[in-house]
Amino acid sequence: MQQTMGLALEIRLSAYIDGELPEAEKSELDALLARDENARALLQTLRAGSAFGNKAFDDFLHDPVPLALVRQIKQGPGITPRFARVATANLPQRNARVWPRLAAASVVLLFLGGASGFILGSTVNTDVPGPEAAERPWVQEIADSHRIYARQKRHLVEVPASQAAEIETWLASSVGVAFNIPDLSPKGLTFEGARLLVANGKPVAQLVYRDRDSNIFAICFQRNGSGEQPDQFSETIRGDLSLVTWQKDKASFVLIGPSSDPALQDIAQTAAAVI
Amino acid sequence: MRPAANMKDFRRDLVGLLPKLRRFALTLTRDAKDADDLVQEACERAITRSQLWNGEGRLESWVYAMTRNLWVDEVRKRKVRGGGSMVDIFDQDELSAEPSGERAVYANQLQKMILCMPEGLASAFLLVNVDGYSYREAADILGIPAGTVMSRLSTARLRLAAMLSEDAERRA
Repeated sequence: MQQTMGLALEIRLSAYIDGELPEAEKSELDALLARDENARALLQTLRAGSAFGNKAFDDFLHDPVPLALVRQIKQGPGITPRFARVATANLPQRNARVWPRLAAASVVLLFLGGASGFILGSTVNTDVPGPEAAERPWVQEIADSHRIYARQKRHLVEVPASQAAEIETWLASSVGVAFNIPDLSPKGLTFEGARLLVANGKPVAQLVYRDRDSNIFAICFQRNGSGEQPDQFSETIRGDLSLVTWQKDKASFVLIGPSSDPALQDIAQTAAAVI
Repeated sequence: MRPAANMKDFRRDLVGLLPKLRRFALTLTRDAKDADDLVQEACERAITRSQLWNGEGRLESWVYAMTRNLWVDEVRKRKVRGGGSMVDIFDQDELSAEPSGERAVYANQLQKMILCMPEGLASAFLLVNVDGYSYREAADILGIPAGTVMSRLSTARLRLAAMLSEDAERRA
């Protein structure tokens, strides 16, 4: 609690708003506010400033986070050691102002089609795709498809979520993998519907979800695949997208979503438990 | 050494914290490029020192304080490089009115107005009014007395109220 006796009224009222005053001072200000119109007006002004500032600061959270840093944090040693070369090579030089150049380079590459896979920065990051890309080419195809479909406003899916039973029957017979559509609403994801894709010459089921910020996530799976051990989750970042892969029974799965999302592995594990 | 599983959680939490951390850094630096550099450096340090994080309390408090310390170091380095012409904002009682945030180019006019507030106001407002820290907690993060947090917060609210009026007039 703060002692504010003798301080300017705006400071005292500001502390009053924050509940930082001792009871005696709070009672004194209550009495002042009850009888003094100017004090009430000042309190109102302070509250208006608070509300305005809250909204303004909330907008800051919608700024994009630097992807290079997300990649560096997520793929550092201890998480996916076999990607260490990529992560180490991506370590930004201290005080080098590379993020704007990274962002600009990523945008340019995106507009060029993104066919080269990894979207790494310009001056610092000169990596080529790691060996995992060659091992699982279908995952790269999925990422390319996702970039295109996720931008569709009116035709995001082939079959809407309202036909869930139809989706399960249709995709199970097309792909050869029996599954249940995971309810990811506790993770903030709403099921939008499904598509049938082709990757690596084989049919792939794609279940599409949307989060509260309208980011698109997808669970894709095909029969057989990567040879990964069951219950082993690997996360790979492809520029603006992150892909978490796993194996279950005789199918390979991948969850794809924004690489800035910190909870992708959690979502993947939730989906894997119920799909 | 932190177990691998805990390290994974730490990194995940750190990524989740990035938007808020960048916002806090912006209130310190009032310049987008400086803020990005600062966040990067703070994350590197947080990972390096992750074994010191005991998992209790708010991770963001720990990282915020680290970020603030790094910025103080940076300001001091610049002061030395600039021949002592810079004033350490964290040693100031009186606030500078120079809106160095003008350098930042932001499409969002509202953000630009926030970053143009005198030094120290935005960070105090952010910690208490937006992030919900007490005066004492905010003072610990910023390395200033709680009384200074209190007065800066009051000034920030009045400034923001004035911006609101200007914004309303401009729209009218």
